[in-house]
Amino acid sequence: MLGWLADAAITLLVMGPSRLPWQSSALRQMSQKDCEFLVKRARELVSDDPYAAKAWLITARTLYPADFNIQYEMYNIERNAERTASAGRLLYDMFINFPDQPTVWREISVITAALRSDSQDKHAQFLRGLFETLPGRVQCEMLLKATEQCFNTLEKAEMLLLLLKRFPESVVQHGVNLGETLLEAEVSENVETPVNCFRKLFVCDVLPLVINNMDMRLPASLMQKYMLKAAEFYIGYVTRSQEAGSLKSPSVSRGSQRYVIDGLSEKSSVVIEPWERLLDILAVVGARCEWQGDKGQRSYVDMLLRLKELCRYLPGLEGDTRSRCSSQVVICAALVLFRSAFLYMSAIQPTLFQGVNALSLGPWILVEDLSSVYNDVEVERGAVKHAHKKRKLADGREKTMSSDDEEGLGKGRGRHILVNKTEMPNWSETLENFCTARESWDLLHSHESLETEFKKICASWKTDSWLWFRIFLTDMIIYQGHYRKALSSLHQMVAVLQPQPGQQSPSGQASLEHHRALIQQASCHYALGEYRMACEKLLDVVSGLVPPNQEPTKTTEEQGRVKTKTRKGNDLRLLPCNSKAILPFCLQLMLACFKLRAFTDNRDDLSLGHVVVLLQYDWPHGEMLFLKAVDKICQQGSFQYENFFNYVTNIDMLEEFAYLRTPEGGRIQLELLPNQGMLINPSSSPIPVTLPSFPTSRHHTVTRGITKGVKEDFRLAMERQVSRCGENLLSVLHRFCINEKIIIIQSLP
Amino acid sequence: MGDIRQSLLPRDVLSAAKELLYHLDIYICNLVQSGRQPPQVDSKTLELVEEFILHAPKDRNTPGRRMSALQELQLLEIMCSCFQEQSRDTVRQLMFSALFSLQGNQADESRMALLGKLVSMAIAVGRIPILECAATWLQRTHCVYCVRLAQVLVDDYCSMVPGSVPTLQNIHSASPRFCCQFITAVTTLYDLTSEELTPPLELLQMIVSWIQDDPRLVLITFLNTPLSGSQPISSLDVTPLGGLMRWCVKAPLAYRRDKKQVLTNGSTENEPDTGPLFSALHLSVLQVFMLLPNILNEKGLFGRLALLQMESLAALTSDLSRLLDQADKHTHTSSTDTHALSQLTLDRLAQALQVAMANGALLCSREDLRAICSRLPHNNLLQLVLSGPVMYYNNIHTPPLAFSPHAAHSPIASHPTHPAHTPHTPHTPLTNHPSSHPQYPGQPFMTGMPFPFRPSH
Repeated sequence: MLGWLADAAITLLVMGPSRLPWQSSALRQMSQKDCEFLVKRARELVSDDPYAAKAWLITARTLYPADFNIQYEMYNIERNAERTASAGRLLYDMFINFPDQPTVWREISVITAALRSDSQDKHAQFLRGLFETLPGRVQCEMLLKATEQCFNTLEKAEMLLLLLKRFPESVVQHGVNLGETLLEAEVSENVETPVNCFRKLFVCDVLPLVINNMDMRLPASLMQKYMLKAAEFYIGYVTRSQEAGSLKSPSVSRGSQRYVIDGLSEKSSVVIEPWERLLDILAVVGARCEWQGDKGQRSYVDMLLRLKELCRYLPGLEGDTRSRCSSQVVICAALVLFRSAFLYMSAIQPTLFQGVNALSLGPWILVEDLSSVYNDVEVERGAVKHAHKKRKLADGREKTMSSDDEEGLGKGRGRHILVNKTEMPNWSETLENFCTARESWDLLHSHESLETEFKKICASWKTDSWLWFRIFLTDMIIYQGHYRKALSSLHQMVAVLQPQPGQQSPSGQASLEHHRALIQQASCHYALGEYRMACEKLLDVVSGLVPPNQEPTKTTEEQGRVKTKTRKGNDLRLLPCNSKAILPFCLQLMLACFKLRAFTDNRDDLSLGHVVVLLQYDWPHGEMLFLKAVDKICQQGSFQYENFFNYVTNIDMLEEFAYLRTPEGGRIQLELLPNQGMLINPSSSPIPVTLPSFPTSRHHTVTRGITKGVKEDFRLAMERQVSRCGENLLSVLHRFCINEKIIIIQSLP
Repeated sequence: MGDIRQSLLPRDVLSAAKELLYHLDIYICNLVQSGRQPPQVDSKTLELVEEFILHAPKDRNTPGRRMSALQELQLLEIMCSCFQEQSRDTVRQLMFSALFSLQGNQADESRMALLGKLVSMAIAVGRIPILECAATWLQRTHCVYCVRLAQVLVDDYCSMVPGSVPTLQNIHSASPRFCCQFITAVTTLYDLTSEELTPPLELLQMIVSWIQDDPRLVLITFLNTPLSGSQPISSLDVTPLGGLMRWCVKAPLAYRRDKKQVLTNGSTENEPDTGPLFSALHLSVLQVFMLLPNILNEKGLFGRLALLQMESLAALTSDLSRLLDQADKHTHTSSTDTHALSQLTLDRLAQALQVAMANGALLCSREDLRAICSRLPHNNLLQLVLSGPVMYYNNIHTPPLAFSPHAAHSPIASHPTHPAHTPHTPHTPLTNHPSSHPQYPGQPFMTGMPFPFRPSH
């Protein structure tokens, strides 16, 4: 090794100082011809007798040591034969003797490109090996020079990075500068997202070198700045959306499964275990900023526990200690928050993210739990009363006051979230993540100073534009019972997500998301006692649904119900966002809305009728309520619901109603046919006379009363209805929702 | 020592030899301890060695005692272990020299015979101390005897016992010094002038692989020799470079002759082509030349010591011109082939001369080279080498000068090969060269003139 270095030195010595030009051009031409001849002979021989070819070139080099082509040819032979050591030696010679030859630089750039690339092909490996044979000093010089020749910021940075990785001592000189160059490049190149090639290089490559270099002393503020840059990158990377664009730019290329950071190769776009890497950086930064806590701490959950402890001492601290401590709490808690929120969201709505495997059926909607809808009204009412502040209004209807913040917070404690465990296998982690995220959020809002700092981070990261985080926040607000806030947030989201008429949504993602928001809005309105609004939103959703072909199997629902029987009614549920689950939920929510109204002391046949229609679903769970309705009808002595035969196909119910008319049943006056005694008891019906939904033509003025003809009509209608029993109930109920939309909405306060 | 003779006489041949070796060991140990400089084994002792170990007849009247083959083998074993057990290098060397230094007397024949057997055995059983001593012996002894020893070893390992080449191959790692001297001796022995003097293929393959593995091997003796001046007259060259160069240069012609003979004999035996072997060897030789500047500079010998002798090169070129002439005369059928081989020979010669000169292995001017090459047929590269590179000075680099002693002392402008000096004057062949081949037109040297071979583009 040393021998050939000295050799090269001699080659240098041999080349004397320049002399006067002396017939230089003619002579030069001659010597060039000599060299060409020698190289040509070597080339002719190389395939048949490589030894001879080399012998020619060695001879040629002693004749014309200053001729570049001869040495390049020697190098070429060794390189093409992939003889690492000899090629390396010759490259070294060329680098020393012909530093200005473009060919040398081309070669060096090929080699440095191989160094930067992750290609495993044999030639790339050879080139890397070739570089390894060079003495460290030359490697360093070569990389520095190659860096100087680079005009592309990214390439330049990658090159410099090679240098830093190989020669740790150069980190002190170049590390921070490189980092700052990359961060500046982000600005000057106008990149839109923190997940860009510059940031990737900074966070994944430069930063670890810089913060782990103990020869460098960086101010804590810079460390924290870098920490946040890293966090922003990793979070952005993990939560990168399926559609590549965020809320702002929905038109960015989408659909490709593979993720490539602009300017990087596919392979170098991959970040393995981002959360772990972030934790690594956090550990080093924490240690170097003298944060509290043991350094061996390796999990985000442990971190939250420690932060909670730290927070208790925070008010007692002063000055630097306090600010250091609160920085620690804010940064760490924010990371825990975003990580848990992400994990929760990746279960709730996996399609939001690229690279998240949709193991569970998604998306899921956090809504009020309605499994107690079939419970007795009185029990229910008591429970609701307990939960909501209600006032008797002048018109006798009950109205739930919108919950204010304190009330919401009070209510937010210890709410249960019900999940169908077979449908969401990872339910327990999901709920734990939701809980951890909420706790971190609370921690970040437990002191004003923490909140201020946290808001600064949010503002710089523009978390407002993170759709996934907004969805999480909305869920959190719902959990906390701040329904009014949740509604306004949902309202904004709906506005954003409203499918544009001209815009195709490839996956139906937007419309699904739209449904999700509407259902959540309905659920919130319901929780606020705003039944009309609730139903309005619901019916918007239902009109967009296609009724399932089959009635849902009841077994799973049954299991769920047994468990939830004793729930109080302020629980939440995670509902799968698909028509199979949505339609039943809508029906139940409507039932819940009408139930209270139907069983008030005031007579409201329309509500009662809706209840009967809705009770058909999931029959006979609502049997008890149905009997209660029948009782009420018996008490009233009459019942008018002209949609009865359109939407009631349940044989048990039909039998019961048929019985009611009989003398044994109490000869209840049933006006169930359209146009049948519309005006008999006008006060009882708030329905306007003109309703488009009525299937038959109407004659406003005709009052046929109870005639023999009517009796006959009823009997015939009953008979026909019995034959309809086999009809798909969900289609019937779906039709009900669509056809009677207006009447339903208007019959609610 | 006189008493010793008396005690040895009654003994049987083997025990007497054994006893003498024992005494010799003690004697030399005392000699070394006494610190007398230089330690000299007296003639009496040498005589005892001749009488009791080499069994040379003391005079005409008393016929020498003879040893049976078995006794000789036992003696060799004893000698082997004797050298093996002696830990002091000086003692070993003195003993080896007492036994095997040629005295110019009758005993030398048996001395050589015993030496051949001992070294051959040492190779077989891997006795490194003996090989080391033999290496020194090969440095100090007249090359004729060195060549004889080499011949014995080659016969033993390459000709007599097939398949024993790998044993010989090991000397490379056992004693590089011996290996190096062996190569020198072998290249001196086989000068490719006849079929008998063409190295066996196994030997050639072995030498090529040795040098390819470690080119510095051929310089080992040179590296371990303190200074060049004290070289005994007519000893082997300090490196095998001259011999190897001769091999490579002559090989295309010599082996062509062989091939032709094989063809005329009608033999179908397919000898592996030696072409690639010599090609590789030639490259190795050039690579060894390239190692020289550093070594010579370290030793302060750059420009002062020529590893290639002009006389032997002159012999080589005159030999070549004769061979080429013959080749030219005798071949009519495959003249293109002949021409190509002749050109290969000249290419190699030119390359070796140029690289040797540039790296300080050959100390002469290009004019000197032109003198010894004047009888050779035309070859582009040779012509280029003999004229030297075209010197022009651009603004960056200056081509180096050949490492000639003239160049080192004379100003550039007076450099004999400077094209500007004799721009368009044809260089007439040197008249004082002892040219014995007038039928050959001399190389028309036209320094600085475009060569006819130059591609016209």
